Amino acid sequence: MDSKTRQILCELQDGFKLETRPFKRIANKVGCTEEEVIEIISKCRDDGIIRRIGAAIRPEQIGHAANALVAWDVSEENVDEIGTALAELREISHCYERECPPGWNYNLFTMIHARSEEELRNIVAGISERFKFNGFKIFRTEKELKKTSMRYFEEAQP
Amino acid sequence: MDDKDREILQMLQGRFPLESEPYRVIGDKLWMDEVSVISRIARMYESGAIRYLGPFFDSRKLGYKGCLAAIDAPADRVDAIAAVINGYSEITHNYLREGSPNIWFTVIAPSEERREQIFAEIRQKTGVKDILIFASKKLFKVRLILTRRQ
Repeated sequence: MDSKTRQILCELQDGFKLETRPFKRIANKVGCTEEEVIEIISKCRDDGIIRRIGAAIRPEQIGHAANALVAWDVSEENVDEIGTALAELREISHCYERECPPGWNYNLFTMIHARSEEELRNIVAGISERFKFNGFKIFRTEKELKKTSMRYFEEAQP
Repeated sequence: MDDKDREILQMLQGRFPLESEPYRVIGDKLWMDEVSVISRIARMYESGAIRYLGPFFDSRKLGYKGCLAAIDAPADRVDAIAAVINGYSEITHNYLREGSPNIWFTVIAPSEERREQIFAEIRQKTGVKDILIFASKKLFKVRLILTRRQ
């Protein structure tokens, strides 16, 4: 990654300021044109360094009152098929296969978001009937203790 | 939050327009003017519905290693243990959950050494011996839930 790209991503990492021309501000700061900034950001998005540009929303603020981490015990030969299928469900925001410590068999991790406790139960029941699981565990979200965005880029030292 | 706000949120979950005046582009699609789009986003920030607006980086493509970790904390020690965990900038998400273990957090570190160092420090500062560590093996999905109309 060249230093201009790094500088632009550094300026971007705390999100956009709310203004009509967010890329112009970055261009002024970094010392290039607005077009260049947009081009470099587009390239990072195409390359996958930026996986998405948009808003992060607090689920509980948009009507998702019942949220849970649900970990499923899936055998090795089924994990790809089930993981891919679960990723299609709109109620699921995160789906990862993870390495597990000894004694822990729930290897497929999903975050499920529902509007009510009843809806959450129905979603989990629906999934558990549809696929072959050896078991699952529900960890309902009680409280957000911290939620921030990672800062990957350090400001250049003056 | 009204329907217009939901429409804006919907747009902000798709591909953000990489153009000189992105909010005008969004407004054009929703039959709204640019100033209304910006002021509605500002209001959703203030209400807490929007936490962040900007790029999301792929930590692995930037050379970082991520994992999920969990601690089983006694109820009366949750706050103290959470305070230690939350002190690390490499720990971006931390949740109290029902069940055991009850504290679940994510660690994104530039190296395995740094990650192990963080865990060692947490063990030492909190006295908790067992931290369950779940390294990610395969990502099937990370995406925000689409806004649903009530």
